[in-house]
Amino acid sequence: MNQPNIAALAETLDDATRSARTTARLTDTTPLDIPTAYAVQRAGIDRRRARGESLIGVKMGFTSRAKMAQMGVDDVIWGLLTDAMLVEDGGVLDTGGLIHPRIEPEIAFLLGRPLSGRISPAEAARAVAGVAVAYEVLDSRYEDFRFTLPDVIADNASAAHFGNAPWHDPDGVHLGNLGLTVEVDGRPVATGSSAAVLGHPLRSLTAAARLAGDAGVVLEPGFVVLAGAATAAVPLPANAHLRIAGAGLGAAEVTTR
Amino acid sequence: MIDTSPVSDPPRPGTAVDAAVARLLEAHATRTPCAPVRDLVDDIDTAYAVQDRLTEHWLAEGRRLSGRKIGLTSPAVQHQLGVDAPDFGMLYADMAVPDSAEIPAGTVQQARAEAEVALVLEADLTHERHTVADLLRATAFALPAVEVCGSRIRDWDITLTDTVADNASSGLYVLGSRPVPLRDVDLRLAGMVLERRGEQISTGAGTACLGHPLTAALWLADALVRLGRPLRAGDTVLTGALGPMVPVAPGDVLQARIDGLGDVRVAFAPDTAEEA
Repeated sequence: MNQPNIAALAETLDDATRSARTTARLTDTTPLDIPTAYAVQRAGIDRRRARGESLIGVKMGFTSRAKMAQMGVDDVIWGLLTDAMLVEDGGVLDTGGLIHPRIEPEIAFLLGRPLSGRISPAEAARAVAGVAVAYEVLDSRYEDFRFTLPDVIADNASAAHFGNAPWHDPDGVHLGNLGLTVEVDGRPVATGSSAAVLGHPLRSLTAAARLAGDAGVVLEPGFVVLAGAATAAVPLPANAHLRIAGAGLGAAEVTTR
Repeated sequence: MIDTSPVSDPPRPGTAVDAAVARLLEAHATRTPCAPVRDLVDDIDTAYAVQDRLTEHWLAEGRRLSGRKIGLTSPAVQHQLGVDAPDFGMLYADMAVPDSAEIPAGTVQQARAEAEVALVLEADLTHERHTVADLLRATAFALPAVEVCGSRIRDWDITLTDTVADNASSGLYVLGSRPVPLRDVDLRLAGMVLERRGEQISTGAGTACLGHPLTAALWLADALVRLGRPLRAGDTVLTGALGPMVPVAPGDVLQARIDGLGDVRVAFAPDTAEEA
């Protein structure tokens, strides 16, 4: 077995992303622990930054009990979001550059204050400048979305694209049990509740702050935090109009080509 | 696809219907699941004829009809059974359980649970075709509910005709106690979470029930008029699951929350059969 070469592993995944081709699981040939996997993720983002992209947020993964049990883990993971991943609301997403994209409905937070480390629920709530219904497009760089925990962390938690509806003032929005749907050409294909996100999406924001503290970074004001999926991910079709709606929060829209 | 709407003129009860009724009543009486009845009942009209014979039997025994349940309201379940419409069964007053009550062990055979929107009516729904306006005017209020489904068929080995004949796999139903007028709740995007020991075992929203719980209730109102047992003032309608149905075990305590409707709890007594 090889010792992990972080730059080479990040390049492998970056190449797979840019060529829209799957690659073998890194752990098939290289032993990876969690900190090393996060180092590969970070190196991948550094490659994107070298190409001019900038970090604008984080996405939380494994925020449902079912997914944690399936992966045999008891904590969330995160991936990093850049401006190039953001799809304009009502905009067009070309799926030709993706391998096997899936979409899931989410709640997104817009940060108004910096967050890092252990925070109370009150601090989490105070840091929120806006909430929105959002979606994430996942596209694992591994065949059939089959991976171990270090593999998926290294692969930036399968992040590909995301978008959100206009931001709402968080005051008076009760996020704990909002119905969320994904509609394809007007027909619902996934239905869930924001309660599926760790019981309440704000818990995911608290966890994001903790992970930031562990990584020695700060979630900056203006960052977007995607709290996690409210339903299982469904395949993202090409040439379709998608509407991702949340109770009281309106809807995000995207058209695929 | 199969049209699962009952017709106004069910077939004459025959020996096959008699045999299916007898098999299901035996399973009820002995609390022992039976073989499927699809060997005797191979079409939807005959299945509803079996259910109606059970209804006649139980009404003659003095049970009071308290409402109806709608089943097969999720696309996933419809696909699984190869149908494109829901089904329904009868609710009796002795099946109603108050919020937070404990259900004695063994009360429901092969119990499974799902969270639903319940509608309580204040007017009859006797038109041949009902509009949303008719339904809104006839509904006094909505309540959060947990339906405890059960099957008399061994291992839930059911087809459409099995579950229809078996009173739509009904068991008990648990109602919350804070009435909410329909003007105060968005039933379509109301979130639902069903929890056991703080663990989410089912989540969903109103859309999961035929796109909207009121759509399911409208289907039911029209179907029951065709069958000659229309919905009446005072009836409770369980409109259908808002998320996947889950198995329950003795000792479980379940809590359901539906956004805008509040919450409702039900406990299942531990199995003490061996100690007794």
